[in-house]
Amino acid sequence: MNDWAIEVDRAFKRFGSTVAVNHLSLKVRRGECYGLIGPNGAGKTTTFSMMCGYLRPNQGQIRIVGKDPRKPGALKGVVGVLPQDAALPAPGTVGGVLTYWARLAALPDPEREAKEALQQVGLVESWATSTQALSHGMAKRISLAQALMGAPPVLLLDEPTAGLDPRIAAQVRQLMRDLKGQRTLVVSSHNLHELEELCDAAAILDRGALVEVGSMADLTSKSAEFRVEIARGAVPLEELTLIPGCVGATLDSSGTLVVRFKGAPEEAISGVVGFLLSRGVLISSVTRGRKLEERVLEVT
Amino acid sequence: MEQLNEVKAIWQAELQRALRSARVVVLLGLYGLFSLLVLLVVGTLSSALSKKLAEVGGDPRAAEAAFSEGRNAILAVLFSTGDPAILEALKQVPLVVLIVFKVTLFFLPAYVALMGFDQLSGDVANRSIRYLVVRARRSSVLIGKLLSQASLLLVLVMVVDLGIFLYAEITTPTFSISAAAVHLLKFWLAAIVFSSAYIALTSLCSALVRTPAVSLVLNLVALFGFWLLDVIGAGDPSRDFLRYLSPSHYPNGLLHPSFAPFATSVLAYGAFAIVFVGAALLILRERDL
Repeated sequence: MNDWAIEVDRAFKRFGSTVAVNHLSLKVRRGECYGLIGPNGAGKTTTFSMMCGYLRPNQGQIRIVGKDPRKPGALKGVVGVLPQDAALPAPGTVGGVLTYWARLAALPDPEREAKEALQQVGLVESWATSTQALSHGMAKRISLAQALMGAPPVLLLDEPTAGLDPRIAAQVRQLMRDLKGQRTLVVSSHNLHELEELCDAAAILDRGALVEVGSMADLTSKSAEFRVEIARGAVPLEELTLIPGCVGATLDSSGTLVVRFKGAPEEAISGVVGFLLSRGVLISSVTRGRKLEERVLEVT
Repeated sequence: MEQLNEVKAIWQAELQRALRSARVVVLLGLYGLFSLLVLLVVGTLSSALSKKLAEVGGDPRAAEAAFSEGRNAILAVLFSTGDPAILEALKQVPLVVLIVFKVTLFFLPAYVALMGFDQLSGDVANRSIRYLVVRARRSSVLIGKLLSQASLLLVLVMVVDLGIFLYAEITTPTFSISAAAVHLLKFWLAAIVFSSAYIALTSLCSALVRTPAVSLVLNLVALFGFWLLDVIGAGDPSRDFLRYLSPSHYPNGLLHPSFAPFATSVLAYGAFAIVFVGAALLILRERDL
């Protein structure tokens, strides 16, 4: 058993003349929360669908916990999937449909599994509700519930909070936070703040190709720069570079001081902040790294 | 064993889903009403003919012989055969039952198509199949759905056949209950064996495309194609072999009293079913969902 929960090796997928995924390679560690980032048409959902075995790559290989997702029954009990835009079957009740899927997954007590999963997404009261009577948000949570049934070691969640109201989206994020560390999570989302907060690592895709991959700290340069919002006072930029660990500093047009550093971040941050205060500069906030959004906009 | 459990779970769920939907009731109503219409038309014509023969008078034996001759002529046209063995075997069965059975059998493939054209394409179109294929093998999904269609058809055909035989039993004093029961079972089994190939064909058409409407059109085109093959093969001796490539060619053998023609028909429908299901399994295994 290796360390990788998911291995995508030079996966290539074409729909007619359109290349959806172009020789994409990435690896996700066991227990890691991994983000798939990119604009519309970047190939996130196609990559996702290949991981779930819905689509067959034209070239390349994919392994989920060492198994080929296209092999019959390979993902059973291994993967929980929240597919994007998949309708719940009708007619039927929420409880009936979830129990059916739990039975199909050969879970020992299907009804209990279904009820527990509904509890996790806060929809126990919807047990007897018809699947045709669900709002978009409820259907999304039911779909999330089915992915959680049987506690699969790998969870693939495609746009888990898309279309949800802020309160429900926050609940779903909390659920993902709770799952983090216990399962391998792969989350595709346009909500970059959400991914930045949740994920340990991410891949940025654009037009089917991988443009950047790495830990979230690397992508947001948390280990290389920090930002200081200057409220008042003149910043002596040249003197800042003399502070140990500080390798460069710039002041942008909005009055934010961007400091690049080497070594321990706490020493560089404390040194710069102390120096600025000693020079009568007032600070309104300090942020490590930059926003993921900025990085994504830079590379896509 | 694991796959059998998957098939069982899908079969049960699909059956429940179908029973909850209005389509089965509508199709049963349509099938039943159509059979009833044919039954009434043929029954009325048949009794008018008997009355006319009685009115003309003369030798009752000659009248009966004339009726029997007429009946055989109708059967020969209906079953496209002058085989005396099959005519003899069907002698006990009222003419009205034979005509209605034959006409409903002609339309049965279309009912099968209407009942199951979206069994896979519908789930692929709205992507709900994605919930299934991470839990079960694609082959289990196909077989489970196919079995649920077959189960529904078993009941649907039995209900309609029961109606036809009840009518015949009431209107034909010479048709005994035991003979009615035996023939009901025989006709029902014949219809089921006949349908097996068409159920499999519907699964194949549904597995081929991702739009339900297109799968229905494809299914109907295939039915017409097979029917044409049979007609062309029958009409042109140089292309006789074409008949054997069509499931429309084999239904008569299912009611034949001799083993060889009966077994040939059963084997032919079994072979068509296996080929269609095999192709559907292959396509579903390879295709994107």
